Formats: sequence, C-alpha cells, structure tokens
Amino acid sequence: MLFTIIRRNEKLAAKRSPMFDKNRFAKFLIYFMVAYWAALLLFMGVTLPSAFESAAPSMEPYHILNQGLIYVLITDFLVRFVIQTATSHEIKPYLLMPVKKKKLIDTLLLQSATSLYNLFWFFLFVPFAFLSIFRFYGMTGIICYLTGIWLLMVLNNYWYLLCKMLLNEKTVYLLLPLAVYSLLAIAEFIPEGNPISTFTMNLGEGFIEGSLPAYLSVIILILLMIFINRTLQIRLLYSEISKVEDTKIKHVSEYKFLDRYGEIGEYIRLELKLYLRNKTVKTQFRMGFIIMIAFSCVLAFTDVYDRMTNFICIYNFAILPVMTLGQVMCFEGNYLDGLMSRKESIYNLLRAKYYLNCLILLIPSLIMIIPIIRGKISPLMAVSYLLFTVGAVFFTLLQLAVYNKKTLPLNANVMRSNRGSSLFQSFLISCALFMPLIVNSTLTTFLEQNTAFIIMMLIGLTLTVTHTIWIKNIYNRFMKRRYDNMEGFRDSR
Amino acid sequence: MNITIEQLKKNFGAKVAADIENYTIQSGDMLGLVGNNGAGKTTLFRLILDLLKADSGSICIGNFNVSKSEEWKNVTGAFIDDSFLIDYLTPEEYFHFVGKMYGLKKDEVDERISKFNRFMNGEVIGQKKLIRNYSAGNKQKIGIISAMLHQPQVLILDEPFNFLDPTSQSVIKHILKAYHEETGATILISSHNLNHTVDICPRIALLENGKIIRDIDNHDYSAEKELEDYFNIKEE
Repeated sequence: MLFTIIRRNEKLAAKRSPMFDKNRFAKFLIYFMVAYWAALLLFMGVTLPSAFESAAPSMEPYHILNQGLIYVLITDFLVRFVIQTATSHEIKPYLLMPVKKKKLIDTLLLQSATSLYNLFWFFLFVPFAFLSIFRFYGMTGIICYLTGIWLLMVLNNYWYLLCKMLLNEKTVYLLLPLAVYSLLAIAEFIPEGNPISTFTMNLGEGFIEGSLPAYLSVIILILLMIFINRTLQIRLLYSEISKVEDTKIKHVSEYKFLDRYGEIGEYIRLELKLYLRNKTVKTQFRMGFIIMIAFSCVLAFTDVYDRMTNFICIYNFAILPVMTLGQVMCFEGNYLDGLMSRKESIYNLLRAKYYLNCLILLIPSLIMIIPIIRGKISPLMAVSYLLFTVGAVFFTLLQLAVYNKKTLPLNANVMRSNRGSSLFQSFLISCALFMPLIVNSTLTTFLEQNTAFIIMMLIGLTLTVTHTIWIKNIYNRFMKRRYDNMEGFRDSR
Repeated sequence: MNITIEQLKKNFGAKVAADIENYTIQSGDMLGLVGNNGAGKTTLFRLILDLLKADSGSICIGNFNVSKSEEWKNVTGAFIDDSFLIDYLTPEEYFHFVGKMYGLKKDEVDERISKFNRFMNGEVIGQKKLIRNYSAGNKQKIGIISAMLHQPQVLILDEPFNFLDPTSQSVIKHILKAYHEETGATILISSHNLNHTVDICPRIALLENGKIIRDIDNHDYSAEKELEDYFNIKEE
C-alpha cells in the first residue's frame, strides 16, 4: 500500500515538474538521451560477441564480458550520481504521516531495488546473452545470467545509496568509494593473474550455470548493504531533514575595490557572490573554469592537439562564458521581483555580467602567452579570438537575457538545475559555441588566414566598443517582454 | 504622491483578480487593504508595482504610468515576498546593495538601519549569516527594512505582520505610524489582521473578487465593527 502510494507520488512529481510541464523540448531531449543510450547499449550487446570472438578466439565472449563486469558496475555507480536521488531526500514529506519511520525507510529501500533503472543495462546484456550464452546453456542459462546481473545492479544501487547518504553528510566520505575502488584496482593490477576480473568471470559463469553459491554471495551482500543503509538512515534521518548549509559564514567578503565603480561595481559584487555562494552556480562555474584552464594548459604545455589549435584557442576563451551566460537571468529569476522594482537594475546587471566575463578572460589570455612564446599560435590569432569572444560571442549569449524565462534553483544539484533549456536557448548557445569556427572557416575559404583573423578581430572590436548600445537594446527588449518573462520565472520558481 | 487607478482589469482565466473602475489613493494616505484569500490584494500590489501586466486600464504613481516609465521606482519602496530578497547575501550586504541602488552611501545606510534596531531585536545584523538561513520572521524584517531604507514617498507592504512575533508586530506598527507622520508618505498595507489594520490605517479598502467593494473611513477607528461584520457574514 505505502509502496504503491510513494511510487505513484514519485511518478506524479516527475510528470508535473514545473521544468518539464511547459517545456516539450526538455522532455524530448531527456527521452532522446535515454533512447540514445539504450540504442548504444543494444548496439554493443549485438556487436560485442563477434568482436570478442575474433579478439580472443580461445575464450568465450561471455567470459570476456564477465571479466569486465567490475567496470560496468563502476560506470553504473557513477551514472547513478547523475540520475538517482538519495532515498533520504524522499522521506521528509511522509514523516508526519501515521507511518512508522522504519517502515518508511524499508519501503523506500525496497522501492529503489525495484526501480526500472536497475534493468537498464539489460539493453546490453540481453542481446549479448542471446548471442553468446544461448547456444551453450539455452534459455535457462540466459534467465539465470540475467537474474545474476540484476542482483549485481541491485547491490550497486545500495552501494550508491550508502555513498550518497554519507556524502550528503560530509564531503570527506568521498574517500569511501575512492578507497574501495583504489583497493579493487590494487587487487586487480598488482598481483599476477588479475584476481578481480578472474573473480567476476567466475561469478558470471556461476550465474549462467545457476550456481547457488554465486547467487547467495550476492544476496548476502545485498542484505548486508540493506542493513547498513537502514541503520545509517535511521541514525542520520534527523540531521538530514534539518540540514541547513552554511548556517554561519566565516568571512564576509566585501570586495571593497568595487566601491569606486558605483552601481555597476555593486552589481559585479553581486555577480561574484552569486558565483561563490550558491551550490549550483558554483559547481557550474567551477566546471567551466576547469575546462577553460584545461584547454589553456593543453595548448600551452603539450603538443597533443597541435592540429586543433584553432579549435582549442577559441574554446579556451569561449567555453566558460558559454556555460555561464547561456543561463543568463535564470538564477536571477529567484529574486527578479526585487530587481524589477528598482529602476534600470537589469541594464546595470547585464553590464556587470559583461564586464565580469571580460575580466575572467584575462586568465586564459595570460596562459595563452606561453604557446605564443613557444610559437605554437600566432599573437594575431590569440588577440583575434579574444576580441571575437568579448564582442561577438558575448553579444550572442547575452541575447538570451531577453528570452530566458525559467528560474533555476540556486542550490540544487547540477543535473536538476540544468533541466528546462528551451529550444531557442539551445539554439543560441549552439550559435555562440560554433559561430567562431564557422566564421573562421567561412572567411578562410575566400581569404588568407591572417586576413580572416583581422576581420574577426574587427568584428569583435566593433561589438566591444558598442557594448553599451547593444546591451541597452537587450535591456529595452527585455523590458518589452518583462510580463511574460516574470510570469515564467515566477511559475518555475 | 497619488496613486491613481483607472479602468483596471486583470483576469487569470475565468477568475477576476482585479476589476477597479476608478480609485485614487491620495498623497499621504495610509491605506489598509483587506479581503479574504484570493480577493486580489497581492495581485493589485503586483499591478501597482508593474510586476504583472493588466488586461486593460492603467495605474499611475504621481504622474508616472507605472507600465510606461520607470521613474516611479525611485520614490517607491515595496516588499511583497521572499522573491524580493537576494538570499545569498547577508542582511548588511543586502541593505548596502539596496542603498546603493538609491544612491545612498554606506554610512547613510548604516545610520538608517540603526533606526530599526528595536525591530531587528539583535537578531539580524552582525550574525554572519546569509539571508536564506534566517527564520521567516527575520526575513520579513529584512524585507520591510529594505523597502523603507531609501525613505520612499510610496511604501507598499504585503502582509507585513506575517511571521512576526507579537513584540515585532507592535514595533512595526509604531514604525509605520511614525514614518507616515514624519514623511507624509503614501502607504499601502495589506493584512488579514483586522486589529492591526484598524489600528494604523485611517482608510481601509475592502476587496472582494478583485473589486473594491467598500472604502471605509477609519479616522475614528470605527472600521473594526464594519469589517468584523463583513468577515463574520462570510464565515456563515
């Protein structure tokens, strides 16, 4: 009864999420991704038996796949962080109901085991089993094998729930999965004979043959995991539901140097605090920043991608703005009413965003000096792409301020926060992402490379010099659409 | 500064949220807006603050049509709900931010905040906490103070007594009365608390299905009976 109710509520929650409710593109994108991964697994399931056969004729394909079971389980574990919520998050709404807490936890734990996701890898294992196991063990062998695989996925599910629960408690618990996987790696690679993959190969064979000890060992581990999860969940329940992050902050940053820049300085300060004090924004910014630095370093210190200097040079500048400005106004949707009740605040906010992103580009620009000195890229190319980003890419991305109208939570996890890109948003982001390369290759079709760089530099420079005009234009268009946008932001809050 | 409403209509589907033919809130009026849930109080405030588009009609603050100009924003202060607060700032940072928007220096802001010390009761300033980690009552206090910080000529507060403890309710009543007397500002307050509304508002508008059905003179605090009668009748 409770099981059915919770399951139904979860389905309704997903179906009625404000992010999906009015966004057919987001729905389509999610379905497309699921279908894509399913198709990819299916393809692998069909092709791997013959590939394994030709690669290792002395072994049966299922032996080879079973040797790699640990890698499948690690991949599954990582994927769960993206798509699966911790059960402790789901308990809160039911706590005041006349249901015992332990029963509630048991139900949620049971439910996670019966989740359809635990069968997702069957897209790989079912065709693989039919093509490689059927001829030796028949239908019984396939059923026994798939049952064993399902049990392993259930075990992985509980292992993930345990790690996720502990991670929610303290980040230091990240050491637990790291330690476990490191130990497994040591056990696999240091002694002779790859004991871990040999063990998983034997386990897989045990499943196929319907060996009771193989099933029992996994079932015992599942029961053990359930017991640990259950005990910990009961213990951590109160701290989890009353959790308030950053209750006290140790140091309040003032960025006093911004005082001299008046209102714009105030908005730049606001932007900095937006980036540094909110989980979603911080994670997104950090990811973009790391990718940007990685691009810079690849270009500066390695020769690996020498043939792709054009690509790496432009994205070294553009990747972070694409990631942050692509969602311009979406985080502000949380407090837009307050901003809108003050004169021209959005205009100043947009200018502050522009200036801050220009400032951030100083970092890749500085790193770019190294490949310039090493002669890997020309100074003209670096300056051209820098100015093109500051002008044309920012110009394109900031247009989204007119059209974005879905509030993104400031402190949800990244996957949840990314839901709800509109078709137009995705289109403009793609434009900003691919435009520099398209413009460059179009120009180089007719002109010398250096001439192309100069033209791109001039385009960028023109848009940089005129930035107040086009930002004002964006602001005026935003104000024309303000009622529609405010309604969108309010509805998705 | 006058607030003039003309031929204002706003529907949400079949539901009438605002339907006001002509209504003027005179400069220096302190108007209490009362009505049951869904009567249209917050919608009216949002329309006055240009946060919603009216289906037809207009609202002017002074000479400025709120949907056509932004000049009125310099003389207006408002707090409706949490969506007015930038919750990843500390209260001090938020007050300074708001102050800067109205051209106030930090010292001026600090001096103005100090006038609210009793209202804040030592729980708001100097806590090194982000607004999102404050209680609902303290968030309400932060919102009200930020709306009054630049000493607006028009002050709009939606349910200002909500979430506040009895002492703070009493303090804010005194603050609002004193502010009205000192500055002669036009003040609009909505509340479900009839006693508080009658205590501080010399004029009370009763809203039902988006319409102002009664405009009650309360200079002699006589509105309470009329309002109680109205709300008791509705309960039957």
